[in-house]
Amino acid sequence: MSEQSDAGTATVASNGATPVQVKPGRHREATLYHALSGAGAGNGRTLEQLREAALKSYETSELPVWRRSGFWTTSLQSLDLDALEAQRRTSEPGTVPEIVARTLPDRARAGRLVQRDGSVVHVDLDPELRARGVILCSLQEAFRDHPELAGRWYSKRLTIDRHKLEAANAAFWTGGAFLHVPKGVVVEDPFEIVYAIDGPGVAQYARTLVVGGEHSEFKVHEYDLAEDFSGQALHAGAFELYLQDGARCRLAQVQDWGTGEVYDVSTRFVGVGRDAYCHWLPALLGGHLVRQHLELAVSEPGGDMAFRGLFFTEEHEHLDVFAVDLHETGPSGGDVHWRGAATGESRASFEGLIQIDPGAQQTHTYLQIHSMMLSPKARVDAIPSVLVSADDVSASHGGTVGELDEAAIFYMQSRGLDRPAAVRVIVEGFFEPLISELADEPLEELVREKIAGKLAAARDDIEAYATSR
Amino acid sequence: MADLEIRDLHVRIEEREILRGVDLDISRGEVHALMGPNGSGKSTLANTLLGHPSYEITEGSITFKGEDITAAEPHERAKAGLFLAFQYPVSIPGVSVANFLRMAINAKRDEPIQVKEFRNQLQHAIELLDVDKAFTSRHLNDGFSGGEKKRAEILQMAMLAPDVAILDETDSGLDIDALRTVAEGVQKLHEEQDLGALIITHYQRILHYIKPQFVHILMDGRIVLQGGVELVERLEREGYDQIRQEVGAGTAGAVAAGDSGV
Repeated sequence: MSEQSDAGTATVASNGATPVQVKPGRHREATLYHALSGAGAGNGRTLEQLREAALKSYETSELPVWRRSGFWTTSLQSLDLDALEAQRRTSEPGTVPEIVARTLPDRARAGRLVQRDGSVVHVDLDPELRARGVILCSLQEAFRDHPELAGRWYSKRLTIDRHKLEAANAAFWTGGAFLHVPKGVVVEDPFEIVYAIDGPGVAQYARTLVVGGEHSEFKVHEYDLAEDFSGQALHAGAFELYLQDGARCRLAQVQDWGTGEVYDVSTRFVGVGRDAYCHWLPALLGGHLVRQHLELAVSEPGGDMAFRGLFFTEEHEHLDVFAVDLHETGPSGGDVHWRGAATGESRASFEGLIQIDPGAQQTHTYLQIHSMMLSPKARVDAIPSVLVSADDVSASHGGTVGELDEAAIFYMQSRGLDRPAAVRVIVEGFFEPLISELADEPLEELVREKIAGKLAAARDDIEAYATSR
Repeated sequence: MADLEIRDLHVRIEEREILRGVDLDISRGEVHALMGPNGSGKSTLANTLLGHPSYEITEGSITFKGEDITAAEPHERAKAGLFLAFQYPVSIPGVSVANFLRMAINAKRDEPIQVKEFRNQLQHAIELLDVDKAFTSRHLNDGFSGGEKKRAEILQMAMLAPDVAILDETDSGLDIDALRTVAEGVQKLHEEQDLGALIITHYQRILHYIKPQFVHILMDGRIVLQGGVELVERLEREGYDQIRQEVGAGTAGAVAAGDSGV
């Protein structure tokens, strides 16, 4: 970290970037579409010091605005943060919200942690795994019971002060999830981490830390769920996962915030160590306004990753995904493949950045994004970009933008499927290459069902669009 | 009364009249051939019979098994027992042949088909069409060769067991071996299931394997000649031009329809 010479007007953010100075009362107008790149906030500071620094940043910063070259703005202007803060609440331990049982597949699991609003209300862990040293507990407990371990990894790469909600998370988080799979432990069934929002008025500062020890192998399924309600709620999440040498992890996320006015502003970082591998697939299936900074970094030689993702937006939802395929050293491999569909008047923006740092020679990576518009007023923008600072690498991108194929619909109708069924086949077929990559039958079924449900809800809209053409 | 009755059918696409009064009767167990030069309206008729939304019926009617289906949705016609084997089958990525077949079969039924019954039917059909089992787990028409696509069409036909099937230039783009397999498949379904078929073709070669009882020649949107299998031989000898001169089909219509393959 270097000191800014003009220290009177600018401080240095923990990722080395100079924050934009704003006058009080104005929304900060900054382009935040760049990688976290580099050291995080951790670096020897204690949790208390970090909370204090974050609080300072929170108090002096405005709600962020993400703007990109004039045609895309993600603004939190309509979020009444003060009202949420005023009634920030925690729920009593022991009460698992009903939506968890209703949504999560009934299947074998290694463990489960459920956070409701601001509190962890349930943790279970296979006793055999516990005996082998696996830790699954709230992050608060981890700092109490395993302070050295939690402190070593906490905020190792995540920043705490790029914008107000990131600072709020770092300052205010309660509960949280901590998972540690020790060296050499191989776990077949998934660890489930659930963040549930019960009703309006909740500001949920979710904090997840996962560490995979050397040559460990495991799966993490995160669920972000809310009941349908009217009114505002906030999920400001910070997720970090570190894979040590030779570790392998399949990370999947099912996010569906229901029909309430839920804002989700989250930063997720996955660090892949030497010869380690991560397959990461977020399924972003709904939220009033969702802004996700997703970064998968290969930090040591031999690391490899598959960065997948799918999204489906409806009605007036606004989704802004910034996905970074970061290569800090070589040789390394990357493969980014996203698919998204939009109905109603929803808008989705996907920016995919391949960043290859100096010295990350012999990196080979590819980024593709495919999108499908299912209504005339829906819009999906896909912006791939490549930032390469090494010369012995290959990095490229591709993608498609599509609408419903009327010829395919007629073909299926001629076989007896009605129009909604035919549309469903097309949309499911569009997502299927990614869904089947989940390689987990119960999770695949859940994602398929959710997409089918959204299609059924958008049926009239899709029908009107087709007949208008 | 025939199962499929087409009466004075006039069809337009984008202000251009393609069919100008077609009458045709087809019943179960009958094999009809519809022949005609490019642009005569063969594919228009095929697509119109299944209710393609781009084709507008301006006059006339289509009746199937006593029901007027002139304005019916495509899937209703399919459920009633009509089938179209497409000239250019569309690929449906993400859905296997077997899963698609199961969906199509279930669309016609109240109760979903039993796994075992489905498997037996599928086994019978893949033997008939001389495809291997792996074929049915591939995504429908996705990356299929021309021959595979046509086989997949007939495989679907075998599974869905329609009363009347329209085969739109199923012979085009097939090598001789594929043509024989496909044609023999159709012939067997005709024998086993008492299938009624309207075989639409530009050439004669598929008719060496399937002998039609009725042959119709379509020119400029009208059926200008009808007869038995001897018409095929005559066409082979004389060609469409000779027949056109003889029946005096309107040349203005021929120009309008052009060579667009509609």
